[in-house]
Amino acid sequence: MALTTGKPSAQRQGFELAMMSPALFLLALITLVPFFSIIWMSFNDVSLMGGLAFEFSGLENWKRVFTDPDIRSSWLISLVYFLATVGLEMVIGTVMALLVYSLTRGSNIIISMLLIPMFIAPVIVGLLGRFMLDPSHGLYAWLLNESGLFDGNILGSVGSAMVAVILMDVWEWTPLVALIVLAGLASVPEDTLEAAEMDGAKYSQKLIYIILPSISNILLVALLIRAMDAIRFFAIIFITTNGGPADSTKIIPIRLYDIAFRFFDLGYAAAVGITMLVFSIMVATAFTKLLKRQETSS
Amino acid sequence: MNTSKRWLPLTFKIALLTLLLLWTLIPIVWMVLSSFKPNDIITASTPHVFFTPTLEHYTSLFSSGNSLWPYLLNSLFIAGVSTLIAVVLGCMAGFGLSRIRIKGKQHLAFWIISTRMAPIAAVIVPLYLLFRYLYLLDTHVGLIVAYLSFNLPFAIWLMTAFFDDLPPDLEEAAMIDGATKLQAFRYVVLPLMTPGLVTTAILCFIFAWNDYAFAQTFSGPSTQTIPIAAAQLLTQTGIDWGKLLAIGTIVVCPMAIAGLLVKRWLVKGLTLGAVK
Repeated sequence: MALTTGKPSAQRQGFELAMMSPALFLLALITLVPFFSIIWMSFNDVSLMGGLAFEFSGLENWKRVFTDPDIRSSWLISLVYFLATVGLEMVIGTVMALLVYSLTRGSNIIISMLLIPMFIAPVIVGLLGRFMLDPSHGLYAWLLNESGLFDGNILGSVGSAMVAVILMDVWEWTPLVALIVLAGLASVPEDTLEAAEMDGAKYSQKLIYIILPSISNILLVALLIRAMDAIRFFAIIFITTNGGPADSTKIIPIRLYDIAFRFFDLGYAAAVGITMLVFSIMVATAFTKLLKRQETSS
Repeated sequence: MNTSKRWLPLTFKIALLTLLLLWTLIPIVWMVLSSFKPNDIITASTPHVFFTPTLEHYTSLFSSGNSLWPYLLNSLFIAGVSTLIAVVLGCMAGFGLSRIRIKGKQHLAFWIISTRMAPIAAVIVPLYLLFRYLYLLDTHVGLIVAYLSFNLPFAIWLMTAFFDDLPPDLEEAAMIDGATKLQAFRYVVLPLMTPGLVTTAILCFIFAWNDYAFAQTFSGPSTQTIPIAAAQLLTQTGIDWGKLLAIGTIVVCPMAIAGLLVKRWLVKGLTLGAVK
């Protein structure tokens, strides 16, 4: 920084540009081509019968996106799924982090154990969910049955299926929130906490007035990361209920997959896909804005 | 003793922590344990904790006509190559992006990250058409390219975060001593980047290894990966749970170990450097 006080000349950036160019060229190729083709597809009737055929259909697909009651209900289910998973993950993850942070011994081994679900492939999380909830020999199904809490087919009933897929996502991703929050807790001012303790502050007071405010930025980072991934992934539901029973877990990515690869209505799927892209770009924008703010404040 | 660590009654803390550990670990332990159970015990109507362990599910996975080997090799090859390309190109680009000062750098960084955040279901549709057009369905190249679409931006962004932490003074000092930028990068910067490179590689590998959606759509008889093998057993009627749990254990264990190996840098990795 100190060495370059004037405007950086194009020549001096040559090496940096050369280092970036292969990756950027490849990335452009594998993202921009699909990006522009999905936009073009959304204005066409795309047929796979006897080779690829595009037939311009104007705003037809877009009219459907905004009038189709199935799409509307899928967005609504997505919203419930999204709020429930991200909300639960934030709350449980924060509690998890506070608990691990409060340990004087063994926190390393305990956090390691708590992190394991994060590394499990979503398809295996789904399969494990089906195994644990299997009505005839699943461990959790048996426990629920024995305790008299629930005795139906958990993944096969409206309502309980949704709760189950939400909890599977929460099971897998809460550790990520805990890990991020734990990193944030290192920055809580220790002397302020001690001073508050001297003045007789209760834990809840310290939590509300000292701990939470000093990790608010990091909580926001965790929230955005989870928000992005919650709309990105769909493999758990894909493998457990595939949107059923009676479309009760048909979040928007599953609906999109159905439209594209069950009904091969690819133009319409493209239009739905763009609405999802718009949503994720909004979250991405928030994420980078937050990053910038963090950089300037630190 | 640290005062901030003394809060809620100890018994309450232990109870809560135990609960969280049970919630987290029971399914994993139950999967691994059950993968060693004979079939009649897996499908018994009451859960069994004690049983005579058997390796039959594992041996049948690797010996029967429909062996797991091709799936395993496909997974290793596709995830490995996509990781290698992502890490090499991502490392170079990460260095460039970290050091370059041009107008619109933030827009460039945003574009890179936004490609990583794109919803998988939305990406699959145009890629499917493209791959069909280019005859890349059911090819290793197709899946490698598909995985690069999320691993490359991830690697670039994460390596940038690692390079940002390395003061440019080091390279500048080497350059004052007469090294070219390339030499400074090769002999001064790169050796210090080992943790960053390893973290990036492991995480890219895990993402690719764990993928199901892309593989489900783009693979065919000759390119199916190991999560597809698991899903195929699942969709058949009369699920062979023993085999399925054995596959699950095989998919999960190496990735959990690899992930824990880079635990120190995991926060940086999974927040893409957003948390210092």
